[in-house]
Amino acid sequence: MNDTLQEWLAAGAMTPGMLGCGALLPDRTCLSYSFNETYTREQLNNMLHQLAETMALFASNSLAPRRLTWMFEQGMVLMVARPDGLLLGLATQFNTEAVQNVDQLAKDFLTLDLSN
Amino acid sequence: MDDDHDFLQVIRDLFVAWSENVWQVYCAESADEALEILGTRKIDLIVVDVNMPVLDGIQLIRILNRRYPQLKKAIITGFATEEKRSACLTEGAELFIEKPHSAEGLKSVFTVLHELVSWTPQEGFQGVLRQVGLYDVIQMECLGRNSSILEIHNQQIQGRIYIEDGRIVHATAGDMVGQGAFQKLLSLPSGKFQMQPFESPSEHTIEGQWEFLLMEAARMHDETVSQVLTTKIAAKPELLPAAKTSTAVSGFPVRIAETLICSGQGDVLYAWQCPDVNARVTLLQHIAQQTTRLGQLLPLGSLDRLEIQLATGRVVAQAKPDRMILVHTATGDDKT
Repeated sequence: MNDTLQEWLAAGAMTPGMLGCGALLPDRTCLSYSFNETYTREQLNNMLHQLAETMALFASNSLAPRRLTWMFEQGMVLMVARPDGLLLGLATQFNTEAVQNVDQLAKDFLTLDLSN
Repeated sequence: MDDDHDFLQVIRDLFVAWSENVWQVYCAESADEALEILGTRKIDLIVVDVNMPVLDGIQLIRILNRRYPQLKKAIITGFATEEKRSACLTEGAELFIEKPHSAEGLKSVFTVLHELVSWTPQEGFQGVLRQVGLYDVIQMECLGRNSSILEIHNQQIQGRIYIEDGRIVHATAGDMVGQGAFQKLLSLPSGKFQMQPFESPSEHTIEGQWEFLLMEAARMHDETVSQVLTTKIAAKPELLPAAKTSTAVSGFPVRIAETLICSGQGDVLYAWQCPDVNARVTLLQHIAQQTTRLGQLLPLGSLDRLEIQLATGRVVAQAKPDRMILVHTATGDDKT
């Protein structure tokens, strides 16, 4: 599961304009990538945990999110939940290739076969 | 104000004559006398001699600037220096004039003073805003508890929205008045608006909290757009891609399930159909905290909104320093 996911995440993280992307596994471990030197992997992992906390809080308020999008002035942060508990987090800047691919990445994530 | 009695008399007679008896000129030979006149009469302009015994002109201007900030102040002196000029203007004088020695010179001084009295400063800022919506302007006026009239027009219609002390009290749009007119104006697809000074309307036709009125207008607008779209799609289904057509005409209209508006501190301003208001406020406060954390890590500017896609609906939340808003829309009959 991790190899497929790692490869897929690494490819996604290389898209121009992607500030960082990562996944939070059901066992709370993180896989994250950033080709932006401003952020450490630890910071991205921390961000993933915080976003997961927000998703959980919404769920506990009878508003279980499938997708959560923070729309900022210059970019967006997206969190997508799979039925198996896997979470994807992406941070992109507007007017970049990455932001145009966000919807496709989210769809691919939901259908990504991680059985191997 | 001048300690030269004869000079004052000449000035008074000439200025009254040149103003064709419009000006009323009061003379004071000391700061005490000047302050007494200011305390008992409405004065538009004071002209002060710099070199006065006890309390000089610069000190008096400083006092006047604090006590009468709207009063226009001019300094006149027979011994002008750059240092005095700078000090007077710094202390709040609008004009620094050298005492003239001829009738022509005095006439010039009168002309300048007359201009100063006639000049009305415009309050507030001037500038151009790019793509400011009516909703934003109304919200700003209401949040600031201002009183104003918004004149709105396009090629089809002309109308007015009256805001009094931050409350929307009246609206007109063509022949319509009241909330209908307000909603009509806010549903215009394009047009121009202009802010006018407030005049009390002939009647008060709108009641209720401005937040609710704006939200209701937005809902009505969305419903109208949705109905038009549905009618168009029903007539010509090929107008939309297959995926969108199925959701638009499949009988699952979008409806508002709940609304919450709070101050930045979490005080509830408006709540509608929230199952647990306190829990929702906590949720918004959590979003505000998360926004701060994300903002510290990522160079993305300030948060516009948080969108949450649910199984059968959507939540849009805003967490800004002055307000927090949560709107939950649901599709179909299910309330998520």
